[in-house]
Amino acid sequence: MPADIVVDALYKFFKKGRPGEVRAVDGVSFQIEKGELFGLLGPNGAGKTTLIKCISTLLIPDAGSIRVAGFDVNKDPLKVRQQIGVLTGGERSLYWKLTPIENLRYFAALYGVPRNQVKERIDYLLSLMELKDKAHTRVEKLSSGMKQKLSIARVLVHNPPILLVDEPTIGLDPYFAQFVRNFIKHELNQRLGKTILLTTHYMDEADALCDRVAFMNQGRIDALDTPTRLKRSIIKKEILEIKCLGELQKEEFPALENLLSLNITRLDGFTYIRMGTDNPERLLSRVIDFIQHRVKVYSVQVTSPSLEDVFVYLTGASLRQGGDDA
Amino acid sequence: MSKIAHYLRAINAENMKEWRIEWKYKPDFIRQFLEPFVYLFPYFLYGYALLGGRYSSHLKSITGVDDMVAYTFIGYLIMGFLNTACWAMGSSLRKEQWYGTLEAIFVAPVPRWVYVAGMALHSTCHQGLIMVFQAFLITTVFALVFKTTGIFLVLLIVVLMLMGLYGLGIMVAGFTIGMKQWWVISEALSTLITVVTPIAYPLAVLPIFLQKAALFLPTTYGIIGVRHFLLGEKLAISLPLIIFRLIVILVVWLTVGFALFIFMDRYGRKKGILSLY
Ligand SMILES: Nc1ncnc2c1ncn2[C@@H]1O[C@H](COP(=O)(O)OP(=O)(O)O)[C@@H](O)[C@H]1O
Ligand SMILES: [Mg+2]
Repeated sequence: MPADIVVDALYKFFKKGRPGEVRAVDGVSFQIEKGELFGLLGPNGAGKTTLIKCISTLLIPDAGSIRVAGFDVNKDPLKVRQQIGVLTGGERSLYWKLTPIENLRYFAALYGVPRNQVKERIDYLLSLMELKDKAHTRVEKLSSGMKQKLSIARVLVHNPPILLVDEPTIGLDPYFAQFVRNFIKHELNQRLGKTILLTTHYMDEADALCDRVAFMNQGRIDALDTPTRLKRSIIKKEILEIKCLGELQKEEFPALENLLSLNITRLDGFTYIRMGTDNPERLLSRVIDFIQHRVKVYSVQVTSPSLEDVFVYLTGASLRQGGDDA
Repeated sequence: MSKIAHYLRAINAENMKEWRIEWKYKPDFIRQFLEPFVYLFPYFLYGYALLGGRYSSHLKSITGVDDMVAYTFIGYLIMGFLNTACWAMGSSLRKEQWYGTLEAIFVAPVPRWVYVAGMALHSTCHQGLIMVFQAFLITTVFALVFKTTGIFLVLLIVVLMLMGLYGLGIMVAGFTIGMKQWWVISEALSTLITVVTPIAYPLAVLPIFLQKAALFLPTTYGIIGVRHFLLGEKLAISLPLIIFRLIVILVVWLTVGFALFIFMDRYGRKKGILSLY
């Protein structure tokens, strides 16, 4: 059976050949099998959304090919669109002046859902998303969580076998984010058998949900495997974490022996320096020399690597630039 | 065949959606019915001031119609459809972008002109309704009398003119997805057409070069034709020629409009223009 999504040597640059050229997607290839939950993990600006837009025919790539459910996005864009549901833009992707029923009916017509199935389909989706009693309330009056649920229902209206989900939990409160993650994994992927391409810059999300994860950074995929194998790939390494008070930039850090990767984040007023190393004790003695006059050390610990550490180790980039959204 | 049924259904869904959304902004809905009068009265007052009254023997001698109000009103009414083309169709996709729904509808399996066509249908109905309301009110207030014998030809002329204007509308919609300052184009086109079309005067009073330009506009033939059948204006161009030229114009404008729209859509998707705003 051919894979559901096949991306081959894909390139998409913006402002091509002009100053400020952006290599948003810079030679990417991968395949997603039927029924797979595939994660694209990378920091802001990695090119995840651009890639999703190329797959969903919103952007025309510069080079390379994409096949979705066997259809080429260039030659058969309408057939591709019939096969996919694209969840982006969250609650804004609905008509706020209309009710959930009116929204869903409109999209059902666009997708050519047979007229005699529309009512049944919408009833099913509204009860699946627990929105039955809000069916006739204007979207603008719904809570943010309900709007999000309705946009999920909207994406499912034509029952597509393939879903493209761009940063599904960004900006959601933790409780609702957890609901969305569970729904994607257990309902959409496991129960309904949808093939899912999900992008995220949350490490835990990719780790917990995805069958396979691609690390994306600066338009390229630097590693691609199951979360377990990715973590095992640096199993001999350990993480030396120093929690301290004070400002410290990654750029100031000297190249030290035994320092394999470096990630500096800030959280709740503390600075966390996480260093991948094959010898934490040796590294610690060297690092202390460097930092003791710059910051106040609070605690030191040695842990095994998380998927985030693997990301830093393999791509050299941090997922949370400046830790602004931690 | 089922493809055509699918697109027609989508076009109608677009039309109905637009009614539903508009209906929820009720003050605006009402404003749209009243506003045309505000723009209409300066024409009348101007006419009154120049003529010293409503009727003019000079107008009669050059057009065959002596009632300035009826004469002006028909031109004005027909020009309402210019809004359909330049603004309603033109801004349809930008409006979706403003809602945040543009990408959601652009990933649906219908060609992108379908949304513009849906807006054309909607706006034509909407504008038609407003025109019926205006026509009823003005006709009653000024006790206008129209000839009804040529009503089917009036309809034919209006339909042909509309199709030409749809060509313009799809072209403007194309500019909106490929250009940052699309409304400059829309504004320029609608002003140009308003100036050149003989709305409140006969074609013959325009300077020669504007007369020539007017011959490329569907609105010119629409107004001349409709005024002839409803008021008995003397035709400056023969009826078969009017119909023929309207057909040529609609074919050319629709072809150019579609070609430009498709070009701009591809151009926009290559450059990533829509996601920039
Ligand atoms: N339409 C566009 N025009 C110009 N540059 C763009 C456009 N869309 C995205 N970019 C740039 O391309 C890069 C990748 O962006 P994006 O795909 O949104 O990344 P991600 O979704 O991983 O955060 C960024 O540097 C971004 O500024
Ligand atoms: Mg993104």
